Amino acid sequence: MKTKMDFPNVNERKPEGLKDDGKSFRVLIVDDSMFVTKQINQILTSEGFEVVGTAEDGLSGVEKYKELFPNVDIVTMDITMPNMDGVTALEKIMEFDKEAKVIMISALGKQDLVKKSLLLGAKNYIVKPLDRKKVLERVVMTLKKQ
Amino acid sequence: MRVEYINPFVESAFNILKELVGDNITRGEIFLKASSQPVLGVTAIVGLTGDVEGRVLFDMSTKTAISIASIMNGEELKELDELAKATITELANMITAQAVTKLSELGFKFDLTPPTIITGNKMEITDFEVEALIVPMELEHGKLEINVALRERN
Ligand SMILES: [Mg+2]
Repeated sequence: MKTKMDFPNVNERKPEGLKDDGKSFRVLIVDDSMFVTKQINQILTSEGFEVVGTAEDGLSGVEKYKELFPNVDIVTMDITMPNMDGVTALEKIMEFDKEAKVIMISALGKQDLVKKSLLLGAKNYIVKPLDRKKVLERVVMTLKKQ
Repeated sequence: MRVEYINPFVESAFNILKELVGDNITRGEIFLKASSQPVLGVTAIVGLTGDVEGRVLFDMSTKTAISIASIMNGEELKELDELAKATITELANMITAQAVTKLSELGFKFDLTPPTIITGNKMEITDFEVEALIVPMELEHGKLEINVALRERN
């Protein structure tokens, strides 16, 4: 089977995942679903991002962030996870690094939690199902926000 | 059980499958099943608690599950491995989330338990005190049954 992903032609434009100095933006993916993690990973790496870490629950997500810091540029954070949910994990990450750029990954119907996350410092959110365009758009937008 | 509970699940399943799997999908006739029922091979279960409580099953054969998971991953999966299971779980997650959003717009309030997957060929699910409504969805990749047993809490 052929994959449905279209790979960008690097000769035409700079991939979104590269900084001005040509180095990759570094991503930490926190999600308890292997499927979602793989999906985000594929979308971002195909644009030149580097996935520097993954975690399957909030608790290890926070630990991973601290471990990687300052060599991580952005975090995608699932909301519903075992051990520690994404909103709490976001809160802990923001306590540790108030400049952290965290995007929430949400199922539909979690508007209250998304709102709460934005108040707690999340820079953006994406509602599932995920697709390439949506993910890249939000991640790029978030990286540009100061 | 009131039939209006099942419609949001059918509509969401239709939308999400269309978006993620892209098949032609037809909705079969709704039917009622008694309390004990065999499952098709791979079943994702989501529990609901609140004004309305019970569970929703997304039931399909192993072959259908593998086909759907392959398309959603953009690669051919050979067996029902961890990735395939995680994919079907996430599918159930998305369908339920959309359905619940519709139901809460109708004024019902409840929480979801995260989906779990059960597999096996000779399994039966038994629900107590509530019958299940089933809507079969025919995809090009096989059949997926949406099986809803909910009741109002009193
Ligand atoms: Mg999750």
